[in-house]
Amino acid sequence: MAQILVVDDSATVRNEVGDFLTTSGMSVSFAVDGRDGLAKLKSDPSIKLVVCDINMPNMDGLTMAEKVRSELQNQSVSIIMLTTENSPAMKERGKAAGIKGWIVKPFKGDAVLPTFKKLVGV
Amino acid sequence: MDANITETPMPQEIKIVSKFLVLDDDQSCRDQIRKFCDENNLIPLKVQADNVMGVLKSNVDLGGILLAENFGSDSSSGLQLAHAIHAARPELPIFLRRESCEYLDDLAPQDQRLFASAFMVGNIVHLRAALDESIFSFAYPNVLVRGISELTTAALESQFINMKSEVEAPYIVRDKLIFGEIFTLIPVENNWCRGYMMLQSEEQSLLELVKFDRTHVSADKADNFRGLNGVLGEITNLVWGAFKNRYSGVASTDRHLSQVPIVINHLHRYISFGSDNPQLCFRYTLTDLAHADASPLVINQKFVFNLNWNPDDFSENETSVEDLVSAGELDLF
Repeated sequence: MAQILVVDDSATVRNEVGDFLTTSGMSVSFAVDGRDGLAKLKSDPSIKLVVCDINMPNMDGLTMAEKVRSELQNQSVSIIMLTTENSPAMKERGKAAGIKGWIVKPFKGDAVLPTFKKLVGV
Repeated sequence: MDANITETPMPQEIKIVSKFLVLDDDQSCRDQIRKFCDENNLIPLKVQADNVMGVLKSNVDLGGILLAENFGSDSSSGLQLAHAIHAARPELPIFLRRESCEYLDDLAPQDQRLFASAFMVGNIVHLRAALDESIFSFAYPNVLVRGISELTTAALESQFINMKSEVEAPYIVRDKLIFGEIFTLIPVENNWCRGYMMLQSEEQSLLELVKFDRTHVSADKADNFRGLNGVLGEITNLVWGAFKNRYSGVASTDRHLSQVPIVINHLHRYISFGSDNPQLCFRYTLTDLAHADASPLVINQKFVFNLNWNPDDFSENETSVEDLVSAGELDLF
């Protein structure tokens, strides 16, 4: 049962973020794109935080965030985007989808760990 | 900047250079050509007549060739060599040094088409116009060139641990040959440019860095080339995103956007974007500080703006430099 779902099409990023979070004492699962992320969220209700890329094949991260709220009717899971994108328009779309925060890549674990821990309740 | 990587910064005055083969036996002419090269941002590479084709095969980042008509054994050997060079590397412009005239009209038509222009060493300044047309035809804003180097170095530092990074002076190539075995390609588009960015590197050097835990790929996956692909892929993604954020101006969607086929010939390690536009190149060398005997990792970064180039509309996002510093921090809503 994972606390955090990392959604990224890059195996390098999944490995980097996953290693850091696991070493920091969290349980992590992975999805390779938005479609996979939706499926994992649907099958694992223990996930409390999603760390999600935007530009991915099959389904992008913002669309996934919107579907988490509209299709899965999951209003409780926290979603944070981890992306190279930084445009105000995209951030507004993310806010409308109810995401909690935005990180512009590259990932710097130490800078975000306290907030991650608070969001998963440890 | 992160402590993981030692960066050698680009100098304040950015000089874009181009590498040229100089095929000329005349010492006095070579001296004048060297002086001209120094004054016009060319890096001359002297080559012996019997080694030209070998050098051509081993250099993938050339801008062009300065060839003496009488280079080699006799007065016509330069022309013969030009045919061989043109057959092997037609994308490289050849500038012909002649003894008695600075035009090509007296040559047979099949010989004329081999050359970008002709020049006499006594009047070599006139070569400048031909170079501007063939090599330095795109004016790259200083802030763009510097920015690319900065944001790429930032991407490298996030993906490699305990490495020393150096970037050479940016240079222009007409070559279409691919360096190394691993190669990424991503569109770069906004309202002032449309084209592609390529990153090219060698598998063995990258493999060693994975083995020495200098990347975010597990060392036990070093035998799987897909992990190596992922490293270069993520660097590409980071540079692409930072470029987009830093140089504002989204590509217009209310007009037709043309595309052309990109042709890759694996046998000849050759890629064509459908035009002969010069490419803006950067060469990064990463050295493992803890393993001095390990091969350095070289990453070639090339930009080809084959679909649109309009630097008059170029702009840099004012907040982008701060964004570079704050990357990785969480912006809570």
